[in-house]
Amino acid sequence: MGGVGYTNLRDMSVGPLLVERLGRSAWPDGVDIEDLSAGAIHVLHALQAGPVYDAAILVAGVRRGGPPGTIRERRWLHPRQTDEAVQERVAEALVGIIDLDTLVTVLDHFGALPRDTRIIEVEPRDEDWGETLSAPVEAVQAELDRLVRRTVDEALR
Amino acid sequence: MCFKNLPVVFDDAGKAHLREGINDPYVYKPAPTTEERQQRIEGLLARNGHIKEISIDPVTRVAGALAFHSVVDLETRTVHDAHSMATLFRGYEVILKGRDPRDAIFISSRACGVCGGVHANAAAEAIEMAFGIAPPPMGTVIRNLGQAAEFLYDHPLHLFLLAGPDYSEPIIRATNPEVWSLAETFTTRHGAVHGFTKMSDLMTALTPLSGSLYLEAFEITRKAREMCSIIWGKYPHPQTIVPGGISTTINTQVLNEYQIRLFALLDHSKKMALIWDDISEFMYAAKPEYRQVGARPRSLIELGIWDHPDAYDATYANAAASGERRWATPGVMIDGELRTNDLHKINLGLEEFVEHSFYEQWTNGSPKFATDPLGNPLSPHHPWNKETLPAPQGRSWKEKYTWSTAPRWDREVVEAGAYARMWITAVSKKLPPNPFIEATGTSLKMTLPKGVLPEMTLEWVVPMENNAIERNRARAFAQPYTALVCLNNLLAAYELMKSGNTRVSVDFKVPRDERIGVGFWGAGRGYLAHHLTMDKGVITNYQINTPSTTNASPADPFGKPGPYEEAVMNTPILEQYATPDDFKAIDILRTIRSFDPCMPCTTHVYAGSRTIVQEVTTCACELDE
Repeated sequence: MGGVGYTNLRDMSVGPLLVERLGRSAWPDGVDIEDLSAGAIHVLHALQAGPVYDAAILVAGVRRGGPPGTIRERRWLHPRQTDEAVQERVAEALVGIIDLDTLVTVLDHFGALPRDTRIIEVEPRDEDWGETLSAPVEAVQAELDRLVRRTVDEALR
Repeated sequence: MCFKNLPVVFDDAGKAHLREGINDPYVYKPAPTTEERQQRIEGLLARNGHIKEISIDPVTRVAGALAFHSVVDLETRTVHDAHSMATLFRGYEVILKGRDPRDAIFISSRACGVCGGVHANAAAEAIEMAFGIAPPPMGTVIRNLGQAAEFLYDHPLHLFLLAGPDYSEPIIRATNPEVWSLAETFTTRHGAVHGFTKMSDLMTALTPLSGSLYLEAFEITRKAREMCSIIWGKYPHPQTIVPGGISTTINTQVLNEYQIRLFALLDHSKKMALIWDDISEFMYAAKPEYRQVGARPRSLIELGIWDHPDAYDATYANAAASGERRWATPGVMIDGELRTNDLHKINLGLEEFVEHSFYEQWTNGSPKFATDPLGNPLSPHHPWNKETLPAPQGRSWKEKYTWSTAPRWDREVVEAGAYARMWITAVSKKLPPNPFIEATGTSLKMTLPKGVLPEMTLEWVVPMENNAIERNRARAFAQPYTALVCLNNLLAAYELMKSGNTRVSVDFKVPRDERIGVGFWGAGRGYLAHHLTMDKGVITNYQINTPSTTNASPADPFGKPGPYEEAVMNTPILEQYATPDDFKAIDILRTIRSFDPCMPCTTHVYAGSRTIVQEVTTCACELDE
């Protein structure tokens, strides 16, 4: 399970904050809780150097529209992307962008995403500098924890 | 004469004074040039259908978000006007105000997602000057190892992953098919080293996602990042740079881990320099007019970087002397003339202007610091006197259009870059004695040890012109140069270890009285300065001046455009296009990318024709006002 996003960017930091929280719990063998708040190429290299995973769960604050605190869950369907689209994401990743869409596009292109990849997004309200979450995003943290734990259980079956 | 525009003269003892008989020595009257220029351009656009406004927003394959507006005559193939726009206020300087100075190392590092280490190091040096402490020799040497490794990441990233695609088969075929035809028959000079005997094969290898050089660059940058992490604990934001040294535990194993990776990069750097040497010569052979693409005067600034452990004491008084013993030499060159290598004089000449930037003036009343710590006069526009007063407003080419300020030296437009570092180091002939690098006055000679490739001596010759191709070529030669700086410092680290000098930091207390400091440093992209003032244990003012602030700057109050703008306006349009809709602006893009821009993250929307609108959240390597 990986948390994606910048640290200290309020609701956009929901992924790294979740990792910090969940990392304190005991998890079954083979489950790693990783802070992926790094550029996609850095993450790619780290994944290439580490164990091969059967499944991935990526969690991030992503603004798509809708009420703040909305939790969205989906499977990554490994869509085909044009070379131009991938190249654009690679260039963004190289210059320091930390972004869920960039991450999955780059990892998928280089074959570093498990077939079973699940995405959990939280709609942010505040994305200015700071350590705290907004009230609507804070309010769904317990639900987010439960969802991640349930998704891990499903992936382990 | 050091200064030709500022009212500063030097006495026989070398001390600076304000020129006598001037009431308000730093006052200036903004030139009307910008308004006149805008009226002329508007007239041209209204009268001529073939003159088009081209807005590129964002400029892709650069760090952060940069927008660029130009006015191009598609018949005469010339650029009439250009505006460089940094589109987001980031406010690091505001964030740092009121904080413990030690925070600056970690917070300012976040200004950039590519080269955070440069800010951490610049902040550490500014703090050390203010605190009155300096690292022990091993601390300085290890910091050099970390910093040089970051550049070994930065240069190939730019040349193969960001700028390289501009010279790849798909781009050349699409924009200049006649150049591609020539590439198919052009024999490279250094094929025996880099493996591409035909230029077309080399250009195919630069193709994004599939080209062998493009893909190889991922591995090369990975090794360099690992070197950074060995020294800094992590990357891109170091955890081990501290005031007074570095907190990394240094032992033989750490140095060996670093060395293994360094030797791989030393070898690759031979190829890298010669690949870009071949590309440069081919482009000139294909079209001599490429010498004009991105051309601007040889006016360059560099603060030097990588301190010598026997010279760096972190005092302002000794900055000029210790600066000249750095592994890259500080200096300012105006129109090809080296004006100074003296960091004090370079500092005195710095000013920032905001006539075309989204800030308010701060120069009401007397400046906080009329002189530097040695009593030399300072301008009210000097970074130690500057205040960051953001004033967001609508964009107007005549008035304000960017978040970048206009840094100037002696009121001259200077540019920063890895090439400025190479250029000034080569002509200054002040490198510390060492077995690998020689500054000849007209070149840098570099002897690289045997690896998989044999030992070889490369020579980067100071070019006659400053243009897009020469910026990239110098950056490519900066890779072996930087790798040899690593090697020199690695050997120094082994020597220090052998003699028992393993201490890497000193103790300190945060002073409570008023202090002043500056970190004269450099990024992969060149010149970087952090100016700091503090009192009662907290920062009272912090000013970050990055290479891209300088290069992306707007016009100044004297009517002179910034370096990107000037270089684009000097660029002939050489690409082939059947209709205006086919125009891809590759010559303009090559020009901008040749500076290796590193801009702030932004959320920006501009509605206009031929405009790409995109929302991004990213790093930023510049304009942190």
